Amino acid sequence: MRPQLDILLVEDNEGDVEMTRRALTTAVPPVRMTVANNGNQALECLHKEGQYEGGKTPDLILLDINMPRMDGKAFLNVVKESTEFRSIPVVMFTSSESPADIRECFERHANGYVVKPFDGTEYAKTLRQVVSFWGSTSELPS
Amino acid sequence: MSAVTPNRSEYAPGMAGVTPPRILIVDDRRENLLATQALLRPLGAEIITADSGEKALNLVLKTEFAIVLLDVQMPVMDGFETAQLMKTRPSMANVPIIFITAISKEDHFATQAAQIGAVDYIFKPINPDILKSKVSVYLDLYRQREQILQLNASLRQSNEELERFAYVCSHDMQEPVRMMNSYATVLTEFAGDELSDDSKRYLDYIRDNAVRMQKMIRDILNFSRVGREEVKLEVVNCREIYDEVVHEFHDTIVRKHAVVMSDGLPILKTSPTLMRVLLQNLVGNALKFQDGSQPPEVSVTAKREGHLWRFDVADNGIGIDPAFSSRLFTIFQRFHREDDYPGTGIGLSTCRKFVRLCGGDMSFTSRPGEGSVFTFTLPDGD
Repeated sequence: MRPQLDILLVEDNEGDVEMTRRALTTAVPPVRMTVANNGNQALECLHKEGQYEGGKTPDLILLDINMPRMDGKAFLNVVKESTEFRSIPVVMFTSSESPADIRECFERHANGYVVKPFDGTEYAKTLRQVVSFWGSTSELPS
Repeated sequence: MSAVTPNRSEYAPGMAGVTPPRILIVDDRRENLLATQALLRPLGAEIITADSGEKALNLVLKTEFAIVLLDVQMPVMDGFETAQLMKTRPSMANVPIIFITAISKEDHFATQAAQIGAVDYIFKPINPDILKSKVSVYLDLYRQREQILQLNASLRQSNEELERFAYVCSHDMQEPVRMMNSYATVLTEFAGDELSDDSKRYLDYIRDNAVRMQKMIRDILNFSRVGREEVKLEVVNCREIYDEVVHEFHDTIVRKHAVVMSDGLPILKTSPTLMRVLLQNLVGNALKFQDGSQPPEVSVTAKREGHLWRFDVADNGIGIDPAFSSRLFTIFQRFHREDDYPGTGIGLSTCRKFVRLCGGDMSFTSRPGEGSVFTFTLPDGD
């Protein structure tokens, strides 16, 4: 197991950011979470620019679809087409259960697609499972 | 306005009424053309003339006409031959042709004209009033047809807009509703001990209603997905899908001591999503609409009828009041209180929309107090 998992959460809804933060305080392995509110900010984070200067490249990206400016699918495209970043696993974390969205994200090489559970308790549990899988069960590129 | 005929299937709204209908007059004698033209001018149509069958055929290739007046006796290609060739064009199939003749007055000529698809066979000398009134009837018909096409196109467009609206709306509503529900939970956990019993109850109201709204949103999304997303046909083992659906209802079946059985469920080529949606809704309804006085009995049977498969889902439930029957498949129609029989009023309309999209149909029979049978048909995709 990794001592710590660095997660980039790309999410515009403050309520979701807060829910995620709360859920991951008890995650195993422990999580250090960085937040970007849209694709453009997330790119700044990957390039360690602006407010993200001096940061670390994330081990895992949790990505919402519906966001202003650069949305999740566009950002996913950029990441998976970049030789520098495409090895970072990207797990979609979204309200959309649309089969078309699911198909489209996997076609763009998303590494997972998780629908945000409606129930608050399930929401937290699901997030901790995601962290447990990527931080413990799965190996990650170093 | 160009002379190019708009394609019927993508007919743009607002086109009819802009272009006057066109009349094509075909006669090898110029004086006849001029006379008929003068006679019909007051009808308000655009009049186009041709002095031979060949020229007439060339014109119908490029232009749409409301009616064609065709002289029978012409050199090289006579009226009959011209009409026959015209009628081979799909765009001409519904265009009325009136033959005008000075010589071929025998019955068998009129018969031949009718066989080609002519609507009338008129002798010269022409009675101007009669010709005018006949042509004007066909022009009216043409205008009415154009109006209907235009109306259909705009209806289709507004329907598509509405569906798109419903889809986008419900899609975007998912997140705020989820947030309300989640934070009601967080608040309960957070401030549990400090909350009064009333406060806890109010938080429960928020949560219950958020859950209900989420169900509605999900059902609306499923409804609007039917027709938006491509239907994939596969070889479907209906018995397997039935078993899965029954498994999903396991808890309800045990709790209500229900008996659910099937017979003759086929393997056919259809949409597995459709089959699942149908069985989930119909078996679910059969188990739900029960008054509890007896254990529910549900049977799902299928048999072949011609090129269709007919499925019956029968129950011994409360049945359907005949007063509601005409609105049963209408979206958002509910006939019971939420507390008695919860639901969104979307399931059956989704089912019928989906079945019709796949080339089948859906109906029901019912006796209040005795039960209902929901029937749907599906073509075997092979």
